[in-house]
Amino acid sequence: MIHRNIQLFTAAVILVMSAAVMAAPQIGEPAPDFSVVDTKGKVHSLSDYAGKTVVLEWTNHECPFVAKHYGAGNMQDQQRTARNDHDVVWLSVISSKPGAQGHISPQRSDELTAERDAYPNAVLIDESGEMGHAYDARVTPHMYIIDADGILRYMGGIDSIPSADQDDIPEATQYVMVALDEMAAGEAVSQTTTRPYGCTVKY
Amino acid sequence: MRKLGFVFSMSIMPLLVLAEPLAEPGPVQRPHIEVELVSEVEHVQPGEPFRVGLRMLPDAHWHTYWKNPGDSGLTTEMEWTLPEGAGASGIAWPYPERVPMGHLVNYGYGGEHLLPVTITPPEDLAPGEEFPIAVAAEWLVCEEICIPGDAELSMTLPVRAGAAPKNDSVADLFARADERRPEIVDWPARFDTSGGQLAVQVESDELPTDAEWTVFVGAENIVDHARPAETAQLEGVLQAGQPLSPYLGEIPDAMPVVFVDDRTGRAFEVTATPGSLQSTGAAAASAGPTEPPIGWGLALLLALAGGVLLNLMPCVFPVLSIKAMSFVAGAGQDQRAHGLAYTAGVVLSFAVLAGVLLALRAGGEAIGWGFQLQSPWVVGVLAYVLFALGLSLSGLFAFGNRLMGAGQQLTEREGVSGSFFTGVLACIVASPCTAPFMGTALGAAVLMPWPTAMSIFLALGFGLALPMLVLSFSPALARRLPKPGPWMETFKQLMAFPLYLAVVWLLWVLGRQVGADGLAAVLGGMVVLAFVLWLGGRKSRGATMNSIRHVALALGAVAAVAALGAGVRMQQSPGDVENAWWEDYSAARLAELRGDPERAVLVNMTADWCITCKVNEGVALNTDAVREALEAHEVVYMKGDWTRRDEAITAYLSEFGRNGVPLYVLYPHDGGEPTVLPQVLSPGLVVGAIESL
Repeated sequence: MIHRNIQLFTAAVILVMSAAVMAAPQIGEPAPDFSVVDTKGKVHSLSDYAGKTVVLEWTNHECPFVAKHYGAGNMQDQQRTARNDHDVVWLSVISSKPGAQGHISPQRSDELTAERDAYPNAVLIDESGEMGHAYDARVTPHMYIIDADGILRYMGGIDSIPSADQDDIPEATQYVMVALDEMAAGEAVSQTTTRPYGCTVKY
Repeated sequence: MRKLGFVFSMSIMPLLVLAEPLAEPGPVQRPHIEVELVSEVEHVQPGEPFRVGLRMLPDAHWHTYWKNPGDSGLTTEMEWTLPEGAGASGIAWPYPERVPMGHLVNYGYGGEHLLPVTITPPEDLAPGEEFPIAVAAEWLVCEEICIPGDAELSMTLPVRAGAAPKNDSVADLFARADERRPEIVDWPARFDTSGGQLAVQVESDELPTDAEWTVFVGAENIVDHARPAETAQLEGVLQAGQPLSPYLGEIPDAMPVVFVDDRTGRAFEVTATPGSLQSTGAAAASAGPTEPPIGWGLALLLALAGGVLLNLMPCVFPVLSIKAMSFVAGAGQDQRAHGLAYTAGVVLSFAVLAGVLLALRAGGEAIGWGFQLQSPWVVGVLAYVLFALGLSLSGLFAFGNRLMGAGQQLTEREGVSGSFFTGVLACIVASPCTAPFMGTALGAAVLMPWPTAMSIFLALGFGLALPMLVLSFSPALARRLPKPGPWMETFKQLMAFPLYLAVVWLLWVLGRQVGADGLAAVLGGMVVLAFVLWLGGRKSRGATMNSIRHVALALGAVAAVAALGAGVRMQQSPGDVENAWWEDYSAARLAELRGDPERAVLVNMTADWCITCKVNEGVALNTDAVREALEAHEVVYMKGDWTRRDEAITAYLSEFGRNGVPLYVLYPHDGGEPTVLPQVLSPGLVVGAIESL
């Protein structure tokens, strides 16, 4: 009995209380609304796009994982396929806070879009990180698909091989493309949640 | 970084390796990191495995990553090119550090570190040959930003017969990697991912008992790394629970989990297999209502040992050490009569106390051991007594003064009766310490037939008396005590402080029972008590002054008692609890809920002085995971508070063969048989139990 008491004290001492929970949005639930200004000064809200599928792409141009997909043209291809074939609204989001790595001016952002031949509908500048936190965006790139009813259908990585090596892209499953195809075919998304890999978002 | 996990290959054409121009020997600089292929030995012995390793030296504050890199890192990978017939093991990963990155947590390494790999060369190597080793390494090195890196590294070792000498320049590196290398153990381990939680349970008698665990799940994409695992350990069973990642990947059939004891740096790696967790603790055995949890012989032995240990308790030791000094003072004379009288005093007092308890129980009173401390009156009086004893040791007033309490006066009496009453006093002052310390053993005793129960209480008393008895019967031992002298006064004064600490503890218990107002009244009463004792110890001149003093004494004594009385009646109202998300236990309400097929019920019997209860509530019952599971499954959470004596709860406990708390009982929706949960809970365990309703 004495032994047991000692062990219970041990148990008491070693306990670590759980940290505050940062809730991620839930697949199958309404996606969090947002209201964020883009590089042209226009405000975008999720509710503006009711009836359309929306893809969110968290980005940071200096991140080697982002550079992998833009450098190989993979991200641009996906943007074009999504917008042209699936009538998707593609929003790139920069959540780096002012002063942090990856924070850029609207002008620089537009230059980057032009230089890289990127094709998003808009690039949102989420300086406060409010939108990023609402979606629990962890890394760049971090991808989300919201359907026409505002329901979250996919969240996770851009593809299935977490690396910074462009050579891996052809072998990897491109999750966003797969999900958009499935949604277009009226099927359930087979992989709704995957590991988002990349650089941490610089809130 | 082609694929997750570790890859190695063997070249079919070893000569090609030598021709490879990219492979570099020696340290290589890459952005923010230096890497080098090193060997533990200076030459290769045919057929004899040896170790090489990738030495990594990131810049200050930069990190590379473990096999599970955490929320956003990437694991370091190596692809080996070796002579034909040679093989390379996987990386013997040292356990990592938690590396917070913003709101995420990665598992990795900072500073110079080594990832060792064992190479097994073929038997048919001939001395004089060369043994080329090449590795293509890929890693991610991060500070605030991350930079992927890779290098082709090589070295060539000569092949020689005979044991290879160690390479001194890297011995320290290998030693440091080994220090952090978990011991691979085959202890039975299970894991469960129900309820939003990875719960792991490990069983082994070799588990260190006083460990402080840090847990690293070795598979990627399973847990939310920013929320560290909670652990609980009881009698050879270790449980860990960590929330699942929102990006939960495929759940493997074998889950590697590393447990690091932060106190010693020892680490263990278990491989857990899927399966529901076993219930642990005495509760799982679901003893019948009258079957005591431990046998009589063991209870007797524990009671005796516990009694001996009681001598060291802060409430007892000061009193007994003063008695021991009286033996010192009387050294040379026969002390045996004193020893026997003292023993009789202790044992008889315990017999009386136990008799009262057993008689009350036999008469249908639902009380358990520790009942003394459920009465604020008893706690308050004990606080007064111990405080007064402390003051007398501090020298505020002298022992043996006419105005002191009867017990004190009697103990100071010369002769055998004095020793007897010291024994009685020892029993009284020991009682606040017995409840928390011996609660379980005595709980077992109360459930036994009365002669057995009585024998256990007597064993406890005898144990308490034993050291003094031995001292009195062994003049040789008594002579070994320090010689009497002025030190005895200093020692006496010093001994007051443990008593004051015991008073603090009693007042804390009292405070929980009567609240701040009641506690303030009792503390005021103690100040009056101190004043009365001080006044009583003084001499006054003249009849008038003496009369005034006596009146003041009488008034003071009345005031002290009145303050105690006022204080203990101020019971804290149960309505004080804010935002209660549970219901208070009542048998009627429980019966009503059990009749409702929509509702299941979780009953938690707890008490403020029960450390296990507090721990379980903190780590399991009050967590979001459990609260959500309770809501989702329409489970009503009922809490019974046994801090103060509560007959309904005592009766409930005895239905489950219990004489103490905690007790957790889960009733299913359909009115079926309830499940008793273990005494040590984890969120996963509770959630699992709720979900399997």
